[in-house]
Amino acid sequence: MSVETTETAPAPKRGMNILFGLTLLGLLLFLWLLLGLATNSFWTPNNISNLLRQGSMTAILAVGQTFVIITAGIDLSVGAVVGFTSVIVAWLLQAGVPLWASIVLTLLIGVAIGAFHGFGIVRMGLPPFIITLATLTSLRGIGLLLTNGSTISINHEGFTDFSRADFLGIPSLFWMVVLVAIPAFVFLHLSRWGRYLFAVGSNSEAARLSGVNVTRTLYLAYILSSTCAAFVGLLLASRIGIGNATQAEGWELQAIASSVIGGTSLFGAVGSVHGPLLGAFILATINNGANLLNVNSFWQRIVTGLLIIVIVYFDQLRRRSSR
Amino acid sequence: MSSFEELSHRHDDEARMAEPDSVPRGAPILELRGLQKKYGLVEALKPADVTFLSGEIHAIVGENGAGKSTLIKLLTGVIRRTAGEVLWCGRPVQLATPTEAISRGINAVHQEVVLCPHLSVAANMFLGDEMSRNGLMRQGAMERAAQAVLDDLGFHIPARISLGRLTIGQQQLVATARAAMRGIRFLIFDEPTAYLTRQESAELFRLIRRLREQGVTIVYISHRMEEVFELADRVSVLRDGAHVGTRLIGETSEAELVALMINRSIEQIYHKEKVPLGDVILETRGLSGPGFEDVSLSVRAGEIVGLYGLIGAGRSEFALGLYGRQPLSGGEIYWDGSKVTIGSERAAMDLGIALAPESRRDQGLCLNLPIGLNINLPVFRRLSSGIVIRRSEEAANADRQIRDLRIKTPSRRVLASAMSGGNQQKIVIGKWLSHGARLFVFDEPTVGVDVGTKAEIYRLFGQLLKNGAGIILISSYLPEVYELSDRLHVFRDGRLVASHPFRGASHEDVLTEAIGI
Repeated sequence: MSVETTETAPAPKRGMNILFGLTLLGLLLFLWLLLGLATNSFWTPNNISNLLRQGSMTAILAVGQTFVIITAGIDLSVGAVVGFTSVIVAWLLQAGVPLWASIVLTLLIGVAIGAFHGFGIVRMGLPPFIITLATLTSLRGIGLLLTNGSTISINHEGFTDFSRADFLGIPSLFWMVVLVAIPAFVFLHLSRWGRYLFAVGSNSEAARLSGVNVTRTLYLAYILSSTCAAFVGLLLASRIGIGNATQAEGWELQAIASSVIGGTSLFGAVGSVHGPLLGAFILATINNGANLLNVNSFWQRIVTGLLIIVIVYFDQLRRRSSR
Repeated sequence: MSSFEELSHRHDDEARMAEPDSVPRGAPILELRGLQKKYGLVEALKPADVTFLSGEIHAIVGENGAGKSTLIKLLTGVIRRTAGEVLWCGRPVQLATPTEAISRGINAVHQEVVLCPHLSVAANMFLGDEMSRNGLMRQGAMERAAQAVLDDLGFHIPARISLGRLTIGQQQLVATARAAMRGIRFLIFDEPTAYLTRQESAELFRLIRRLREQGVTIVYISHRMEEVFELADRVSVLRDGAHVGTRLIGETSEAELVALMINRSIEQIYHKEKVPLGDVILETRGLSGPGFEDVSLSVRAGEIVGLYGLIGAGRSEFALGLYGRQPLSGGEIYWDGSKVTIGSERAAMDLGIALAPESRRDQGLCLNLPIGLNINLPVFRRLSSGIVIRRSEEAANADRQIRDLRIKTPSRRVLASAMSGGNQQKIVIGKWLSHGARLFVFDEPTVGVDVGTKAEIYRLFGQLLKNGAGIILISSYLPEVYELSDRLHVFRDGRLVASHPFRGASHEDVLTEAIGI
């Protein structure tokens, strides 16, 4: 009766995702094992805390970035937002604004920046690359204007102590990753909003005709990314005890690299929360290991570049073979 | 000698060096023998024997989906044939790549212009074949030469301005001039006048006749009968992928061609459920929007309302307007007898309208996402408690649609892109079945779908009608809308030009109304 169509169906997708996640985890553990054997200082509590602190901020940025990349966009402004919000929080604290209010206001600045990106993309029709590139440079400028090119030091003890504190033997900065990652996981993988991000990234017209509010979804993605960046700005200000608009130079590239290493596709509609987290800590481990091994820090950059090529290449092979 | 001829001779000489074949005027230049194209099991072109004579204008007519574009793609080397032979000047050739076709002098001017809008007219005309001296482009010389050609052809188009500033019609003329300049011997026009004004059409016809005088063979594909009779020497008719006849233009009539174009035998697959009609669900009064004007129609429970017309006649635009995708410029919509405004797709869905859009690839599916996500996309709100999706229900809903619609997949997690056309269409339909609408708009639901799946889709229509839904069926395939619709509306140029009850007019009448002879 009906014509049988012959088609070779690929293996189910989720199995592949878990496999890829395990591969990344394996790579991370392998690096740790290797560094443990090659150096005496790697597996010391001090160094592990340090590694976790280093990786944490990139990890949070990478999670936010991933939401945007899944919609087939890009957020180049996150590094600048980190620097800018570190200035804002320092300035607020210096002006005597209570700590809680300073934190809330700084996060709201992040929301506003993300909303501006959404506005530029949805209403003005600008490509995400352009609007976020524009804020990247302008925010650095505004931050420098506010501070007259200098830094604002933070005298609030409680605020600066936070980044040095531990909880259950684990640095508080790493707990912040957990604090961001769990809701992020629920949002992306368990809520309908996460499904909408994937749908918009895959085919926004099909999503729109299926009743998805594409405008709202895009606003949401960029607001989440900028808010994550503002949160990292708070953590950075706490860690270095100053507000400085030139901080976090190039962190947007670190975040994008972490996300891509973690399996996010720059074409959209492919990504996870655990992937960029692993990606960020793989990058942090390479940096940390290079320091311990006394490798010229310039090599770190080269190795990072090579790693991006290799991992994304293997990911491409994997996808092609699953077609 | 005109500058146009000079230039085309410059290329002619090159072409002759590469291709020494030539045939006298009126002798066969291109012969198709049992030419066939299959996609899997679907026969897009059944074995066809057609002979094109040197220096003739040969029209090809047929309904949408009759195999015209497959034929063009085979002749221009865009796709490879499955079986059969092609003789060029009496010798077998492969025509395996576009480059091979072009090197033999076979070229096509497409309905949509494929040139660079940001470059100047002259740069486009010389693209890939620039005049240069010592490695530097001779910008001025090319502009002068291009202008001379355009003037010579009687086109009032400046060669210096960028192509994107011209109308689509003018761009079409530039594309034609470009092809004509290159010493072509066989030129295919694919519905060239679709976007042209009357004046531009006249200029194009003058050019086509002039090319014929120079011995170029012209293949002219069109829906418009009056153009065929004005231009062509001979005409071939395609129907359902088969070549059903070739006639000398003086020995045929419009009636004969239209009869050949339509498949009279009504296939068994158009099985129509007879359901008693209920109340009016939807009524539009004078609805206007981008691409359609003043459309008034109504749909009852248990009724299929067919919208027939050529592609671009405004049917899909009407559907998108009704669905809230495009802003309306006038008219009223009544739902269950009360006036409503539909401001967004979500509003249409909440009212109970579902749209399975025209293009599965561009509008219907998220191809690189799993089947399950595609099916559930309209109903995630219903599947969620608070912000979290109830995963077991999500899976159950997807699996139920896959089972009920017999979507051939091992799992809901397979990507939609891995499915065949028929199964993809079922996914699009599955989305709307789980949403549960009362008015289903199906826009070209059976394009690229095999016969078995077609029959399944028609049976599904019957089920929807029995459940009290109404259907708007948009199709360019006349037998389908003709046999399935309780009421058939004909669209032309964005307007509803005729309405018929079930089998209330002949195929010929309906086609005539749609073409507007």
